[in-house]
Amino acid sequence: MAINAVPDHVPPEMVRDFSLFTSPGMAPAPNGDPHAAVACVHAGPPIFYSPYNTRDGRGTWVITRAADQRRVLQDAETFSSHRSIFASALGENWPMIPLELDPPAHGVFRSLLNPLLSPKRVVVLEPKVRERAITLILRIAASGTSCDVMKDFAFPFTVSIFLRLLGLPDHRLDTFVGWAKDLLHGDDVKRPAAARTIVAFIDELATKRRKEPVDDFMTFIVQAQVGGRPLTEEEVRGIGVLVFIAGLDTVAAAIGFGLAYLARNLKDQDLLRREPDRIVLAAEELLRAYPTVQIIRVATKDIEFEGAPIRKGDYVSCAAMIANRDPAEFECPNTVDLAREDNRHAAFGYGPHRCLGSHLARREIVIGLEEWLARIPAFRIQNGTAPITSGGHLFGIENLILDWS
Amino acid sequence: MRIIVHKAKCQGHARCSAQAPDVFKLDDEGYILPGDIEVAQGEQLLASRGARSCPERALELDRTPAVRAVSDVIEPRVWRA
Ligand code: HEM
Ligand code: SF4
Repeated sequence: MAINAVPDHVPPEMVRDFSLFTSPGMAPAPNGDPHAAVACVHAGPPIFYSPYNTRDGRGTWVITRAADQRRVLQDAETFSSHRSIFASALGENWPMIPLELDPPAHGVFRSLLNPLLSPKRVVVLEPKVRERAITLILRIAASGTSCDVMKDFAFPFTVSIFLRLLGLPDHRLDTFVGWAKDLLHGDDVKRPAAARTIVAFIDELATKRRKEPVDDFMTFIVQAQVGGRPLTEEEVRGIGVLVFIAGLDTVAAAIGFGLAYLARNLKDQDLLRREPDRIVLAAEELLRAYPTVQIIRVATKDIEFEGAPIRKGDYVSCAAMIANRDPAEFECPNTVDLAREDNRHAAFGYGPHRCLGSHLARREIVIGLEEWLARIPAFRIQNGTAPITSGGHLFGIENLILDWS
Repeated sequence: MRIIVHKAKCQGHARCSAQAPDVFKLDDEGYILPGDIEVAQGEQLLASRGARSCPERALELDRTPAVRAVSDVIEPRVWRA
């Protein structure tokens, strides 16, 4: 691991050799368990400094307790989201919206977008979501007794829901999945190339919808008004790009980690299959145990936090995978209890940036599990294969070959 | 039983209304409506479950019996996390 310079204001005793990128268990590994690997931080202090904890090798403070993460994420004035991560990868400077805006500007766009993905709206989308899940699973069931569940189900399912939301045709599905893969998991050449492709695509789509409006997300955005004016091209792009990448990998990974757990725990699998009413609660527990997102904020001023001297400009990490294994918040956090009742987990974040797609994501996960369990008999991980898990900014799972022969 | 709604803390997770849709009403964006909630007898269990499910701690259970019905004195409220 490259030794990064620790800023002078960080007391050496607060530096720990921990990173979501380089710690043991974070590199892609067969049969890995990156969530268990990060849970070890709870044996240590509530906050410490990790010298290498972003993709570009920057150091961050790491907040370990759920209650403290809540405090950070609810206080957008002190802990800002303004980072232009995506644009800066292109040498540009524009925010993904609403993710990289702070209140009060954040709230204006958030209010604009909330109704598009509200609980009520999701009820309307649900029949299509279910229909899509059933079609895919029937095809899988008809073609054999095993499959690569990420490739054959999780990705096509979540991506097609999302394409429908954006008003895009299904036949380009593989192209979009490819872009998202390159962007989120590609190397230093593939990532900026994918970013450029996605921006060009969103810009083109916006132009098209301006000329010929239809009934879809992008048309809504190009026709929308904030503060009595239409959105700028940059704002339209900021929203389009964010929605494109926010909903692609996340839901698929959640379904993957969930099915991997069930494939290894046949009793739980059997219980959910026999009593599908339990799936809603079980899905929350799977989201708690296997969340995938690390949230990062930038300090806007100097502040003492639980004894740590955070300075203006420092990065502060609030990783859901850490909060969700906090023993002060969850009884037996490392045990998966599919009937867990008190479960205020952090998989979708806290504070004003709480995942805009959380209501849709939850329904997709529940429907995916319901239809899978209803149509596929007892499944396990295929002998001789091993799912590959990875840590990093977004935890992921691949090569999940399920077998029900 | 009453539920004190800290509207400013609500971030629209909608966990409360997922537990008890009749008790916790959301606006069109999916955030809780302002105003404290008087809970009817039969709904207390679901309502307290809903309140306890709020990730932002925006919902506070107030079990003091209807003090306000008999006097104008407003009880000091203690924030219970
Ligand atoms: C299981 C699946 C998902 C997970 C775990 C997840 C997780 C998250 C998290 C943790 C945040 C907060 C980021 C921050 O505070 O900096 C977030 C924000 C966001 N998510 Fe999701 N997400 C998921 C699915 C989706 C879907 C399906 C969509 C869109 C259809 C979506 C759209 C967004 C948007 C637009 C934001 C930014 C909200 C804001 O800044 O106000 N997400 N998501
Ligand atoms: S659970 Fe909490 S944050 Fe979510 S809608 Fe209800 S009150 Fe608001």
